Amino acid sequence: MNIESIITMLLVAGTVWGGLLFFIIKAMKYEKEKEKLGEE
Amino acid sequence: MKQQEFFSSRWTLIIATLGIAVGTGNIWRFSRVVAQNGGGSFLIPWVIFLLIWSVPLIIAEFGIGKSSRLGPIGAISKTAGKQFSWMGAFIVMVSTGIMFYYSVVTGWCLRYFLSAASGNLFNTTDHLVYWNDFSAGFQPVIFHLISMLLVALIVYRGITKGIEKVTRFLVPSLLIILIILFFRAITLPNAFEGIKYFFTPDINIILDYKVWLNALTQNAWDTGAGWGLILTYAIYMRKKEDISLNAALIGFGNNSVSLIAGITIFSTVFALSSVDAMSQVTQSGPANTGLTFIYLPLLFSKVSSSNIINIFFASIFFLALFFAAVTSLISMVELATRTLIDFGVVRRRAIIIIASMGFILGVPSALDMNFLLNQDWVWGVGLILSGAFISFSIIKYGVDKFRREIINGYGSDVKIGKWYNYIISVLIPLQVVVLILWWLISSASWDPEWWNPFHSENAGTCIAQWAIVLTIFVLLNKKMTGKIFNAD
Repeated sequence: MNIESIITMLLVAGTVWGGLLFFIIKAMKYEKEKEKLGEE
Repeated sequence: MKQQEFFSSRWTLIIATLGIAVGTGNIWRFSRVVAQNGGGSFLIPWVIFLLIWSVPLIIAEFGIGKSSRLGPIGAISKTAGKQFSWMGAFIVMVSTGIMFYYSVVTGWCLRYFLSAASGNLFNTTDHLVYWNDFSAGFQPVIFHLISMLLVALIVYRGITKGIEKVTRFLVPSLLIILIILFFRAITLPNAFEGIKYFFTPDINIILDYKVWLNALTQNAWDTGAGWGLILTYAIYMRKKEDISLNAALIGFGNNSVSLIAGITIFSTVFALSSVDAMSQVTQSGPANTGLTFIYLPLLFSKVSSSNIINIFFASIFFLALFFAAVTSLISMVELATRTLIDFGVVRRRAIIIIASMGFILGVPSALDMNFLLNQDWVWGVGLILSGAFISFSIIKYGVDKFRREIINGYGSDVKIGKWYNYIISVLIPLQVVVLILWWLISSASWDPEWWNPFHSENAGTCIAQWAIVLTIFVLLNKKMTGKIFNAD
């Protein structure tokens, strides 16, 4: 695999999968906070 | 009409909405388009359009649905003004037009799952003949009927007992199956060649405008942004539910599934193909069925020397495809049903009307592949207009007001900045204009009779069918608006 392929892979998979993971963690954090605040 | 049913939690809303976005297009269309557009060269603009088309439009749909609590006709009317109800009606027409033939495609997936599970699929060596025998007969009508009845039953049970309950099982099952297939595919000998091709950019074609336009259309068709389906599910989101973070989860979740499916298919094709792998991935076949229904069954017969293992992998692949199709079809049937509910029809009656109409108007697509191709073409391209109408309604409402009061309003976890105003008022209209112009120009170049409405895939047939429905909707605008707001 050449350097261009590795960069593309990191860029694409990193953005898409990394972004998804980031947003899941963020959503879980907010849900936890809401639960703590006594919301259903 | 007071909204009484809601998705019970953030996660069930996300799972159901992900079910809309993740469809058969993630599995078969994505891989084909990547292969046709130079692998890695396509993936870069594809990620960019996720950010400047899909996510902003998903945010818009969530916002319009949540604030109006009405299906597309009432929602657009409430957001843009009562003189624009016809735009909402066009959005409904596009998604319903797709629903008619999508139920047929769902039936194909079910039939292939049953064939694979029974081992019947591997009793033949010529999968093209197998496919032709199946699609030319009466079986597609029967499986179309089964699909429509099954989905109608789910929608009939309502949001929490029907849609939420079923998608809570189907979407995670689909993801688990895809992950199993992903790990099997990447551990096949020579699979690395497929992954290498998938991510290798061709610097010479990365600046080709066709690659960028294909990346945009793939995002438009794949994520469900601009279809009005997410808008319909947003009617049932709780008031305290967030918009922007949920929209990002749907967009990124959908494209994550596409990446998993793409790597799986490229690895499998490169590992098991004895002929030119690339020509097989790019071969679309009738109604883009080539890769999925003709070539992949052949590959599954070579996964291992054990017939039972091959049957297992082929079965779960077609089961995943069926699950993906069902969860998307549910949202299309719900959109049409919700439209009738807005007109004052009770859900039970509405679903009977929609399911009967869905079956009858889907029969021509089940019997004639050219008809299906024509409908796929006309309403598939119509999605660009649907997206434009959604963007237009927010511009009419006031983008900044929409952002501050609705997106960043009650329930929001993440406040979005003014960049959103720029994307909705400049970038999305610009993308629509460029896309439509490119489409018209290229249509004229590949078909000298581009204006002829009786060709199955040209500009003329789209313009003629859109013109007919738009004229009817503009004439009925006042009547539709009156009926919805009187029922409301």
